[in-house]
Amino acid sequence: MSILKRAASLGLAGYTLLFFAFIYLPLALIVVYSFNADPVNMMNWAGFTTEWYAQVLGFKTTLSENALYIESTDQLLAALRNSLLIAASTTTIATVFGTAIALAIYRFDFLGRRFYRVLMFAPMLMPDIVLGIALLIFFVGAGVHLGLGTIIIGQCTFLISYVFIVVSARLAGMDRTLENASADLGADEWTTFRRIVLPQVLPGVIGGALLAFIISMDDLVITYFIAGVETTTLPIFIFGMLRRGIKPEINAIAVMMLAFSFLIASLGLYFRTRQR
Amino acid sequence: MTTTRTRRRLQLSLLLGPVTVFLGIFFLGPLVIMMITSLLAPGLYGGVEWEYYPHNFGRILGFADPAFEDFDPVYLAIFFRSVRIALATVLVTLLVCYPAAFQISRLSERWKNFCLFLITLPFFISLIVRLFIWVLILRQTGIVNGVLMATGVIERPLELIYTDGAIVLGMVYVFIPFMFMPVYASVEKLDWSLVRASQDLGAGPVRTFFRVILPLTLPGIIGGCIIVFIPALGNFVVPAVLGGAKVLMLGNLIEQQFLAARNWPFGAALAMLVMAAVLLILFIYVRLDARQGAAVAPTR
Repeated sequence: MSILKRAASLGLAGYTLLFFAFIYLPLALIVVYSFNADPVNMMNWAGFTTEWYAQVLGFKTTLSENALYIESTDQLLAALRNSLLIAASTTTIATVFGTAIALAIYRFDFLGRRFYRVLMFAPMLMPDIVLGIALLIFFVGAGVHLGLGTIIIGQCTFLISYVFIVVSARLAGMDRTLENASADLGADEWTTFRRIVLPQVLPGVIGGALLAFIISMDDLVITYFIAGVETTTLPIFIFGMLRRGIKPEINAIAVMMLAFSFLIASLGLYFRTRQR
Repeated sequence: MTTTRTRRRLQLSLLLGPVTVFLGIFFLGPLVIMMITSLLAPGLYGGVEWEYYPHNFGRILGFADPAFEDFDPVYLAIFFRSVRIALATVLVTLLVCYPAAFQISRLSERWKNFCLFLITLPFFISLIVRLFIWVLILRQTGIVNGVLMATGVIERPLELIYTDGAIVLGMVYVFIPFMFMPVYASVEKLDWSLVRASQDLGAGPVRTFFRVILPLTLPGIIGGCIIVFIPALGNFVVPAVLGGAKVLMLGNLIEQQFLAARNWPFGAALAMLVMAAVLLILFIYVRLDARQGAAVAPTR
């Protein structure tokens, strides 16, 4: 019996290792592959090269003679610029709005609190394609030109929810006695808010903003529908590349995006451990 | 006193006013307009005609305008196909995550947190990048075919990508964090003294699992299944990348109606169908949850 138990326990541990291998092996694979000089066959290691990275970053490479590649690098940089611009705008708007709703729900007692709660969960439970086409119909019907503006507005409709959830988790765990003490000691409402409430809420707000930024940079479905013809973001650019046929520098792009995600996620983790 | 009250009301309306207007116009507004659009006639060259036209929903069921179209359940077939693929995704994701949740729940606090971090991390990695990796792995010159051919198991590359299996695999890979977290929350709360009691009373491992462990972790399982099923059903990115160019799932069909076929009202009707399916599942979940809560409440 005990041997059987040990075997089961070992089996479970082995399975869990496989589970993590399933998640991380593909990621490791693409990092290795992005340095492979052979762009066509993944199995064939034709030597180490950083050429693809140089190509993506716009340095002169043996490939840059080819006019087609230069064009694609320009498009890539334009897509990256758009993505960063959109993410910066949506993060700002969604953080302000999401924090405002969280503060209202947790600090005030009013009719319709339930409604706002449902409203905040609705975009997260709705399939993104539904929201995407609803926004498309709306913007086209209203005669709005599709582009950066519509993407920013469209993304904000669901990013507000993510900020709301992170900030309200912070607000729910907050200690009210400090505020009461501050008020008892004669501080006015604004001072109490600035000196007591704000420092406590801030980690939640920063966490929510980071989450919004990452999701905005990554959003494909909703953006895809409301981007119009001339505006491209990074995910749409890669999606288009995948549909047209894969070029080797896409590996380098993917690895750089991977590194960026790891950076932001660790930043988020750092803030979370610091607030404890 | 009244001044404090009016000030509080002013603060509240400052907090809620702008965001209410924003979401009212840009979130609720589009949804209402989409509902209306699904009941209008398609324009000849895209767009919509402002007249009542109930055949969009009929077309989904196979009965388009009965005056000049025969019964053709092609869209119904796509719907059921989407449901099938989504259900397969849910099942595989659950089977992948469930055992790992038990192992991780037994680890020390440090390792537990580290493992949870590793599982949530992919959520922050670009979806399209994660899918792209599977294109590299599964395609003809990809790693799987390469290894199998090098070892002599097969002579010609297998058709791995652009299959239903590839779609399910891609979705499982993407949705693991969604499934793992709710399942883990249930597993971690599992009261092991009940498991030991079951064993002491002579129940075998299989019986203990089905009569004690599974029912106790069921809330997390159901939660995880719902969270995975909803985005899987209407998914259009995964089938578009790993499923090839054919119309495979509802999501691709909707995309086609908007960007290629330009039959917006029909696309809106399809989107309504997806939304109705999601609402139905959530409704059943809430009802079940309430019933379960009522059944548990007296014993507490």
